Amino acid sequence: VTHNDTDTTVSEYLADVAHRVSDLPLLQRRELLADLESHIEAERIERNAESPGQLLEILERLGSPEEIAAAARAEAPAGASPPPVPAAPRRRPGVVVAVVVTAVVLLLFLIVAVLSFFVSGGESSEPAFPAPLPGQSALPTPDDPPAPLESAPR
Amino acid sequence: MADVAQLSTSLRRGTLEFCVLAMVEKEDRYGTEIVRRFGEERNLAASEGTVYPLLSRLRRVGWLDSRWSESPTGPPRRYYRLTDAGRAALQHFRTEWISFRQTVDRLVGTDAA
Repeated sequence: VTHNDTDTTVSEYLADVAHRVSDLPLLQRRELLADLESHIEAERIERNAESPGQLLEILERLGSPEEIAAAARAEAPAGASPPPVPAAPRRRPGVVVAVVVTAVVLLLFLIVAVLSFFVSGGESSEPAFPAPLPGQSALPTPDDPPAPLESAPR
Repeated sequence: MADVAQLSTSLRRGTLEFCVLAMVEKEDRYGTEIVRRFGEERNLAASEGTVYPLLSRLRRVGWLDSRWSESPTGPPRRYYRLTDAGRAALQHFRTEWISFRQTVDRLVGTDAA
């Protein structure tokens, strides 16, 4: 039994914990793993634990990765990530729906703007809006300011 | 058996954090030291690793401060210190706890014991 075997045991243990808290905020996750790693290291040195049996004892007192992950989740900031399984699928469709709705609204707005530009520009004899000056759009926009014919030659 | 475990979990919730605060009231302590101390208390017997997330939260809410310090024997240690807000919270808990305990004792019939 070499030192490497016990190192493997420790890194497997930590990887298991990391896997189970992968939904928690990054900083919290890193902090927890650093705390556990430093705890195991301190226990090994201060209790002079060399054998795999002694190492397992340390890990056993520390608790199962499952227990620790559950505790970490219970102490997570409120709202940051409640129960992991229902939260993730619920949040993502919400974002998608918001993006799609925004895109559709913007598209509709654009269509309406373009149409009304053509309507007012094309049929200046029958303006849809109260009396735009000749040569001016009924819907002036900041991006495309109506230019008086004399001052802005194009 | 599961119910017994459930009961101690419920009792721990909301009280353990003040035991942690009280532990660093007089002097700063490092994580493993706090964790070991809890390991010695049979009634609090949560597994050691669950104390770290608790310490993390107490630091996030500003009741504890922490600083890293070299250790003469092992890896660097993270020392925890009670902040003013933590001290106030602990004091508040002490007041609340006394009347809470008295009420429960009276209702459950443990006050004569």
